[in-house]
Amino acid sequence: MKFKAFLTQDGVNLLDKRFLPAVDKLGRICHVYLTPDHAMFLHNLLSGDGMQSVAQFNKDVLFRDYRISSQNAGRIGFAVDVALLHRALRSALTIQAQAPDDTAAIQIKLVKKLPAGSRDPAPFLTFETKGRVSAVVQDVPISKPLPRDDVQQLQSALEAAQDLPQTLVQVQDLAQLQSLVDRLRNVGDLLTVAITQYGDLHLQVSTSLITVGSEFRRLRVLGVRADPPASDGILSAPTRTEMAIRKGEGLSAQVSLKHLAKSLQCHLAKPDCAFYGIAPQGACLTVIFQFFVPGTRLTDKSISFYCRLPVLDPGSGP
Amino acid sequence: MSSSAGMGGDAPDLVCQLDCAQGMVDALTSDAVVEISEHGVVLIVEESGCLQAKVYLKRELFLVYEYTAEGRPRFGLSLGLFVDCLNTFSTPGHAPVIEIRYPGSDMQLLLKTVDSPDACIYAEIRTRIPDTISWDYNFQSTGNVHATFTIRSAVLKEAVDDLEWPGSSIQIVLQPDPPSVILRGEGHGDLQVEFPYYANTDLLIAFQCDHRVSYRYKYKFLRATTSHIPNSVLKDNRGSKVTIGRGGMLKIQHLVSVKRAGGQHSHGDTSGGIQQLSRIAYIEFFVKPEEDEIPVNDT
Repeated sequence: MKFKAFLTQDGVNLLDKRFLPAVDKLGRICHVYLTPDHAMFLHNLLSGDGMQSVAQFNKDVLFRDYRISSQNAGRIGFAVDVALLHRALRSALTIQAQAPDDTAAIQIKLVKKLPAGSRDPAPFLTFETKGRVSAVVQDVPISKPLPRDDVQQLQSALEAAQDLPQTLVQVQDLAQLQSLVDRLRNVGDLLTVAITQYGDLHLQVSTSLITVGSEFRRLRVLGVRADPPASDGILSAPTRTEMAIRKGEGLSAQVSLKHLAKSLQCHLAKPDCAFYGIAPQGACLTVIFQFFVPGTRLTDKSISFYCRLPVLDPGSGP
Repeated sequence: MSSSAGMGGDAPDLVCQLDCAQGMVDALTSDAVVEISEHGVVLIVEESGCLQAKVYLKRELFLVYEYTAEGRPRFGLSLGLFVDCLNTFSTPGHAPVIEIRYPGSDMQLLLKTVDSPDACIYAEIRTRIPDTISWDYNFQSTGNVHATFTIRSAVLKEAVDDLEWPGSSIQIVLQPDPPSVILRGEGHGDLQVEFPYYANTDLLIAFQCDHRVSYRYKYKFLRATTSHIPNSVLKDNRGSKVTIGRGGMLKIQHLVSVKRAGGQHSHGDTSGGIQQLSRIAYIEFFVKPEEDEIPVNDT
């Protein structure tokens, strides 16, 4: 099992300024999953409960001279403390900044070392940076590489997650959604989310004394869409949503407001927009973040970032 | 309970079964009574049967006010929820137009934002059949004229705050000769605050009294009438009107400016003065006097 690569400058910026802060907010410990083509940061794909998140990069976005080999079809997975990883990267950056030019590259590799005061070698992810006067090596402790079964399970969980909801709606203003979610948290924790093929996103929190909800209408729809029934403008948001679900033109699911608030932390990765969809049979709420190629409005296909929020109680309607 | 079980007695101190948790929740949630009429909305909150607060929101305060009911519908509402809810609707820098509707299909109070067709926030608050108002707050004058004075709101608040030190019971005296108002506290010590009408026209704005009137009021109720008045009232310092009615019923009235954020809905400037007047909400407090007091010269 071998892994060795140089971080690209883009890769360093992406990780340092955008993705590591977001990934850290999603959960302190994450799985790093490396394949011959991709590098990924994963949360909760093995445990199966809690919110799942996947940040996947084409290997060339983050690395050059990417060398990987393993018994599991060239795939390696391990758990790491995101904060430690970020700290190592930052200090590697400081050393790099002292170099006379941009040639001082940061190399990372998987190693086994004998930790101080121990007789058993332990695995590390090592950052090697050569500055002007010094070269610095940082060892970030990681878990033992995942055994073949777990790697296989990660791979199949990832493939299962590829199933996209039939209908996705685009939310442009994540800050607005975040402020709404913060305020709804005062009401309760169980959130009913409904998404219709007309491009409506409906959020509702309900207790015995009060129901508070919010509806965003005429959002951009990806996938299956339908025209809203005529004169539905006079109906109330809950009635409209209920009718859409009854006609099979909408789905609803109950999720934890805490999970949704957490997923919104992904905005730290500065996505250009976000899509929300409910998986078939209301299996989960999927949030897909989209990134544009810098300076364009074209989707950057080399980065993909999404969350799957577990459904607490498959509801039939709000 | 566990300790009593440990002491040998198997029976816990209390076992009770509840068949209607909602009733319990209702009983524990402090309520306001809301009364709607063709003139506007009145919120009434009562405490201990001795203090009643009324907030008058005149129909002119609303952008639109459509009233079709017969009689004056009343309903009970958790004031805390209602306030939280209104806060949920407005974000810093954005005050949406909120539509309030009553009743919903299940007698709820319905709120929703109406300024954007593509995004809305809404809420449904459960209402209750209101408790009967336990004590009659009908206000009648003591004689031919009301015994009343109008005082700068900040001055009244300051005087009441000062009277905290003697505490417990505060005597309010209005006398025509010399025309003055006296607030006196006797408890841990004595403190008397006197406002002579002619001495400083800045303090007492108006004064009306044709015979001496004196009653005692519990300090905590008196304080409640000034402690939560909005900052804007103190800032505007328009004046609070204090009246003592038959039987010593004390009425304190504050005026609250309800300003529009940034004047975004102002309708021209010709009606500016009228607009300004109609942007006032009234808060009234009624306080019952202490019963053991024998009124002096109160006819």
